[in-house]
Amino acid sequence: MFRQHVSQLLSAYCQDELAPDEARRVAEHLLVCPRCRGKYEEIKLGVALLNELPAATAPASVWAGIEAALAQDGARQATPVRAARRRFPLFATWPRVAAVSFASLLVAALVGGWLYLRPPAAAWDVARLAGTPRIGAERIGQRGRLAVGEWLETDDKSRAQISVARIGQVEVEPQTRVRLVETRATEHRLELARGTLHARIYAPPRLFFVNTPSAVAADLGCAYTLEVDDAGRSLLHVTAGWVALERGTRESVVPAGAACATVPGTGPGTPYFEDAADSFLDALTAFDFKQGGDAALDTILAEARTRDTLTLWHLLARVDGARRVRVYERLAELSPPPVGVTRDGVLRLDEPMLQLWKGNLQDKWLHESFPTVRKAWRKLWQ
Amino acid sequence: MEPQRAMSERQSDAGLIAACQRGDREAFRLLFEAHKDRVYSVALYFFGGDDAQAADITQQVFLKLFTKIAQFRSESEFTTWLHRLTTNACVDERRKVRRLTQLDETAGPQFVAAAGGQEERYARREVAERITEAVAELKPKLRVVVLLKYFEGLSYEEMAQALGCSKGTVASRLNRGHAMLARRLGHLRSLLVQGD
Repeated sequence: MFRQHVSQLLSAYCQDELAPDEARRVAEHLLVCPRCRGKYEEIKLGVALLNELPAATAPASVWAGIEAALAQDGARQATPVRAARRRFPLFATWPRVAAVSFASLLVAALVGGWLYLRPPAAAWDVARLAGTPRIGAERIGQRGRLAVGEWLETDDKSRAQISVARIGQVEVEPQTRVRLVETRATEHRLELARGTLHARIYAPPRLFFVNTPSAVAADLGCAYTLEVDDAGRSLLHVTAGWVALERGTRESVVPAGAACATVPGTGPGTPYFEDAADSFLDALTAFDFKQGGDAALDTILAEARTRDTLTLWHLLARVDGARRVRVYERLAELSPPPVGVTRDGVLRLDEPMLQLWKGNLQDKWLHESFPTVRKAWRKLWQ
Repeated sequence: MEPQRAMSERQSDAGLIAACQRGDREAFRLLFEAHKDRVYSVALYFFGGDDAQAADITQQVFLKLFTKIAQFRSESEFTTWLHRLTTNACVDERRKVRRLTQLDETAGPQFVAAAGGQEERYARREVAERITEAVAELKPKLRVVVLLKYFEGLSYEEMAQALGCSKGTVASRLNRGHAMLARRLGHLRSLLVQGD
């Protein structure tokens, strides 16, 4: 895996210049390679910086200079260029109608080009799915526009669908409050204050983000459901691809079929598969958010299945000392580390080794199952 | 460049070029109007925001283009020819001057007024000026691909044709350009990314 770094392809990847197969290979590699992800962030910043440069308008004096040079036919016009000195037969007259036709064609072409190429609008289309969703204080009809900074709210009977620039859709469930924070070529960002949304995004990783009170959900090419309750706690449920939940340096990478809870002040909990045993889920909740300590860890380790190596792998970096040794040993028992990954390296959190092991484990994580998100929600919070 | 845009431009350019070759002055002006801002933008940022230099380069490019337009054969791509003229003019001028134009406090791109309050406009202008300076310090071969990408909207294939190199070379140069700008201007990240 690490012999095939993709850093040389990252600008082409950001600028949609790769063939689909190659783009997919890059996306998959970025999921597992911190080194290339770092490079990707760097390239993305370079792209964002250059997008800040405004196009300039040539001053009218440029055409005046050209016209003068041509009119002089180069004879007395020493500047600005020598090229104008040649005889230039451009001044034969043409019927005005031809010029008007060309002008019309040009305007049509420019307008058409602009319509196709215009940058992502600073407002997104919103379609009413049910009831009477509101943008700000205004009810929307069948359609509305959500501008940067505006809130979209649904009551207990209304639902809406947001078109995310040109990269996907977000369905907004009843009793939800969501704001458009930013939309630009290199980043699209919503804030979910409360309620539920379902996102389906068709774009390179880390182009679409959702802020919640306790973490940021970063799309890695996926479909997912995100819920936030009145206390600011959130639950992420991924149905396709991957999503990263982040707060500061703490990150949980969640594959399809898995979920992850977050709590204000703590950030993302440890991700888990929703078909895990009830006792496993209870213990994980206690360990992540209720100071469950060794007793909770005992249950997690005892109840973990091969697939729950997703949880154990994340726990490695979240515990230390004797607890990390115990997690390592259970993880190695369920799925022995591949060549190149050593016990000492893992215990000192050697990042390349952790990523190598994770890459090896992913095959076991990608068999999807579809338990209801509600079941997991109840297990965690009731 | 996206297919629809490229196609519509090609069609409109073809008509204008044919008219220019027949000596139609109005077509000449329309062709200039269609391409002048992109040529000017490339030259402006190539020379670190020197608007006088950019205006000179734009004049040179279009005069050369118009005096040679009778020789233009429609089987080749007009925009490729124009981009080649632009990049050659920039590089030749730089060789001639043998120095990078320095920004002074009064010179600089005539930025389009940004939306938002005065403070936001000032901040955006500051950011744009820092980026302009950093672009001007890239090596010319990196600078050219960056400018052709961002102001001409060329695909890697089109840039490769205009510059006479491979797509891989274009990709590599853009990669280096993006990375160098990011390293140099990493401190501006917080001004670009909001909402974290």
